[in-house]
Amino acid sequence: MNHLNSDASRPKPSGTDTIEDLRLGAARKRLAESRDQEDAIEGLREIVANFLGSEEIGLFRVDPRALSLQVFWSFGIDPENCDLLRALGDAGLRRVMRGECHVDLADRDRSDAMAKACAFIPIRFANETIAVLAILRLLPQKLVFDGSDMELFKVLSHEAGEPLFGPRAGSQASSRGTGING
Amino acid sequence: MKKILVVDDSRTALMMERDILERRTKYQCVTAADGQEAVEKAQKEHPDMVLMDVVMPRLNGFEACKMMRQQPSTSQIPIILVTTRSEEFYMEAGFQSGCNDYITKPIDGAELVALVQSYLGE
Repeated sequence: MNHLNSDASRPKPSGTDTIEDLRLGAARKRLAESRDQEDAIEGLREIVANFLGSEEIGLFRVDPRALSLQVFWSFGIDPENCDLLRALGDAGLRRVMRGECHVDLADRDRSDAMAKACAFIPIRFANETIAVLAILRLLPQKLVFDGSDMELFKVLSHEAGEPLFGPRAGSQASSRGTGING
Repeated sequence: MKKILVVDDSRTALMMERDILERRTKYQCVTAADGQEAVEKAQKEHPDMVLMDVVMPRLNGFEACKMMRQQPSTSQIPIILVTTRSEEFYMEAGFQSGCNDYITKPIDGAELVALVQSYLGE
């Protein structure tokens, strides 16, 4: 299990174009160029599939007062049957609410939905966690998350919130799923 | 300057592959967003290599690969398929469609550069 602080995620200066910088830069650019919420969600799906190696993704809105999560969008999973809070646990949920990524690979060989849990990324906007991106089972050829993936988690945490839920996301930005209470 | 046709319906994947190839090698990239556009651009642009996704609208990567192999002007171009699908069935289908190589996503940028250079030289 790995908990990551959410700081130090600001863009690096241009010119340091290592391959890893180019990957992070492409993710940043895709998010920044999103036309609206639908396009931002598609960008998020593309980043997770192409760069992180998963096609099982859920996006959950946060109600911080009730410590609950509400299904907002998903791809490749049945979010109603995804026991997110069981996978995260109360302590894990609180850490994610505080802005820390939560990565758990320990149980990925188990068969129930919770065992598929891999990474929970707080989506931050205006210094608050407003949503949680759950990246569930990895593609067979992707064995683990590595250090460069952790950097990409930070980019998603800090730079996906505005295109997904900020002013340019438009009128679709209201929640559209069922609740999961913590 | 050698030219690579990069084909993917994902803007994110196109952006990254193009950035890596253009900044880490001396190759020029042209892009297409689906298999049909890839077949058309291959005939028009005469690329030295095609780097192509498999799951795409209009014409998928396997179909586009077969069409390129059937046309004299594109039949000899090295084609690398790039996809999330790692199952043996898909890989066999890729080689049967005429591709030269098959790599899986998530893309390892260093591996991509090395593979492309192995076909096109430094």
